[in-house]
Amino acid sequence: METILVNAGGLVLMAAIVWWFWLSSSDGDASAQNQSHH
Amino acid sequence: MSEASVLHTTLSISGATCQGCAKKIRNALEPLTGDTSLVEVNLEDQTVALPKGIDATEAARIVTETGYPAEPVTEPDTPANCCSSKSEKAVAGTDETSDKSDKETDKGTAAEAQSDDQVHLAITGATCASCVNTIEKALKSVSGVTHAHMNLADNTATATGAADLQALVRAVESAGYGASVIEDMDAADDQKQEEDKKRYKTLLVKMAISLGLGVGLMVWGIGFGSMTVSDANQGIWFGLGLLTLAVMAGTGGHFYVGAWKAFRHHNANMDTLIALGTGTAWLYSITVVSIPDALPEMARHVYFEASAMIIGLINLGQALELRAKGKTSEAVRRLLDLRAKTARVIRDGQEQDIPVEDVRKGDHIRVRPGEKLPVDGRIVEGSTRIDESMLTGEPMPVSKAVDDEVSAGTLNTHGGIIYEATRVGSETALAQIIRLVKKAQGSKPAIGRLADTISSVFVPSVMLIAVAAALVWYNVGPEPAIVHMMVAATTVLIIACPCALGLATPMSVMVGVGKAAEYGALIRQGDALQTAGKLDLVILDKTGTITEGHPAVTSVHSVNGDEQQLLALAAGLEQHSEHPLAEAVVNKAKEQNAQPLKVTDFEALNGKGVAGQFEGDTVRLGNRRWLEAKGLLLSGLADAEKAITEEAGTPLFLARGTQVLGVIGVADAIKTDSQAAIRRLHDAGIKVMMVTGDIDATAKAIAAKTGIDDYRAEVLPEDKADVVNEMRGKGYTVAMVGDGINDAPALAAADVGFAIGTGTDVAIESAAITLMRGSLHGVPDAIEISRATVKNIHQNLFGAFVYNSLGIPIAAGLLYPVWGILMSPILAGAAMSLSSVTVVTNANRLRLFKSSHKPVKAQSQRANGERN
Repeated sequence: METILVNAGGLVLMAAIVWWFWLSSSDGDASAQNQSHH
Repeated sequence: MSEASVLHTTLSISGATCQGCAKKIRNALEPLTGDTSLVEVNLEDQTVALPKGIDATEAARIVTETGYPAEPVTEPDTPANCCSSKSEKAVAGTDETSDKSDKETDKGTAAEAQSDDQVHLAITGATCASCVNTIEKALKSVSGVTHAHMNLADNTATATGAADLQALVRAVESAGYGASVIEDMDAADDQKQEEDKKRYKTLLVKMAISLGLGVGLMVWGIGFGSMTVSDANQGIWFGLGLLTLAVMAGTGGHFYVGAWKAFRHHNANMDTLIALGTGTAWLYSITVVSIPDALPEMARHVYFEASAMIIGLINLGQALELRAKGKTSEAVRRLLDLRAKTARVIRDGQEQDIPVEDVRKGDHIRVRPGEKLPVDGRIVEGSTRIDESMLTGEPMPVSKAVDDEVSAGTLNTHGGIIYEATRVGSETALAQIIRLVKKAQGSKPAIGRLADTISSVFVPSVMLIAVAAALVWYNVGPEPAIVHMMVAATTVLIIACPCALGLATPMSVMVGVGKAAEYGALIRQGDALQTAGKLDLVILDKTGTITEGHPAVTSVHSVNGDEQQLLALAAGLEQHSEHPLAEAVVNKAKEQNAQPLKVTDFEALNGKGVAGQFEGDTVRLGNRRWLEAKGLLLSGLADAEKAITEEAGTPLFLARGTQVLGVIGVADAIKTDSQAAIRRLHDAGIKVMMVTGDIDATAKAIAAKTGIDDYRAEVLPEDKADVVNEMRGKGYTVAMVGDGINDAPALAAADVGFAIGTGTDVAIESAAITLMRGSLHGVPDAIEISRATVKNIHQNLFGAFVYNSLGIPIAAGLLYPVWGILMSPILAGAAMSLSSVTVVTNANRLRLFKSSHKPVKAQSQRANGERN
């Protein structure tokens, strides 16, 4: 049970990192991307 | 080359209201630019910025056809503009364009360029390449900003465009960093120096506290107690845990605040890694102390000392880095130190010492031997020798007399002079040079932008690796698994520092640009610094570049034997022109007491010669090709012409109506060191080519005398750019070296344009690199510095990448299965600090750069002069 929980927790954490830093973006970033084409 | 720093031509558009319109415009221009990312559409200003070399008229036509009425607008400070103004002059006038007036234009343009719509911000809290990306993004998000870049080496950011200052500051602050507008760059420098000194001391104190606690804990744990929690020491460890927390907050609080701010904005940076690494170690340890029974006995080890020591080591690294960074800006500081504080002005017949800021244009200033000149001006009384080495790199003092121009920051070595101030304050050549060097030091070559892009995805990737490593240790690692997974994750987070990556390029650029300035080569942008190292063909203009640019008449041959009459008529024509060749003819007439005859309807023809009316006849003075095209027979002067060209002179034929009167030979001295400089280029594996408006025989003679590999003769000034493009088409990376605005189209067309000039008369804004002294040695010097800088950047980046690509797997425990080695988080902290310090130290090695040039004393050779 503990093993499942730790592994699931780790995977969720990894998914959260991907989501927070790559898939979602703050308002500032969104407008920045609209303005900049680099 | 997709950066706005190389965007030049701008179109003014209308009707573009949304990102969809912008996309349509970019797509429409793709056939012209080859890449949509090279086009920058600014909806706020309704402008389109295009890369250098794009035909603006064609681009405007395409955009108009797409549905957005457009017209070309060229920026006032770009080479493109130099070209157009030059071309206009060439069309309206002739090849005899006045060097003087061109250079005056340059000065004006240079001054304007510095007052462009750039806002400089002092940034605080930026520590790594990820911060650079975040800040640049934040600035670009402000409406009106067309381009933004951050320089980690001196913690400043520059935003270009018409933006609200407070909005810029707010944007940076909301991204989690501090920002303030730099009103006065000089004052900001002094202030920054003071702040850096304070920060250095603070960091050392913080380092001493945190490292003291960490080492103390370790010694106590190993020597007198135990790092493992037991019933006996649980209370003590709890107290030490709280003490560690207090020290972490006090000496490393900025890491946690920075990490939180970045996290809120979906960013991750170096602070994130440090905060997570040390935070994980502390949280694990305090859990062990609080509920030891919940963990297996083997896992009841505490890591408070690791948290404290990591913060101590990183503070130490940052202090050392700060100190080394200060040294990199030495070149600018040395330039700043050249400024005189006071000036002795003569107002209403009274001499008075006043602060240099109060000197006005037109003031008469007395300078005694041994004193520095406070502003730019023109000598009105006295003569002297001025040491200009600080500006031009030229070691010998230059003689100056009445009407000669002098520059601020130079040293009067000989006699007392009085001079009139012509440029004061931020207009002086010295002030412009300082601005230019600072701007270039902050610019990023393409290689640096690559590093920034990598860094932006680096930190989140490291976080993923840390979690993955922890899971692997948990599932397949030995007991105590929970300790191993915590150690591996913490070590990965701590060792993976993007700061070395972020510092690798800007540090080297800063030192390289400063070093180039010491050698009298002003580099305008980081890209030029990088490209100069790759050059394999240097194209040289002739007059003023290979030669002195002061031609003199060497022979006069009259068909009827009356040389006096020939000179009088030639001088009558040439007295209307300001070209150096004309000056040579007029001077010769004066020498021979030949009174210039009255010539009317003067006309100068680009690359051909001059014409006018004399007593009802058309008189022409120019090259063979032109006169033959006019139906004149020059065969009778073949011997005289041959004699002139064999001596590398230029023959100027004079004809009145259909009658050929004679030929005048004009020659220009080859600069004493041109041959040696060309040899240095050969030694560096670079092919050297000359383009000249002169006839083939003369060009051949010059090429033979100087060791030039190839030449193109009879090239009109406006066709020089075609030669550059042709050679680029053949696969060469081409540098064009010219003596200012006359060669602007070719300078702009080349991969790297070198404007060669002397002292304050340089066409600062017309080329990527401006050589402050007249010597051609500036070209190999700049190339050598460029190669050394690029090599240094490569070393830094290689080091940073190797460090990370070796460090992360080792930290994750890759060596454990074979040798049983699992790196300690403390060692990771030390390695991380060492990586930044190594990069900065390596960049500082560039300060020791020495050019291969040894001054050579040689005699001038007479060579030809050409009209271009």
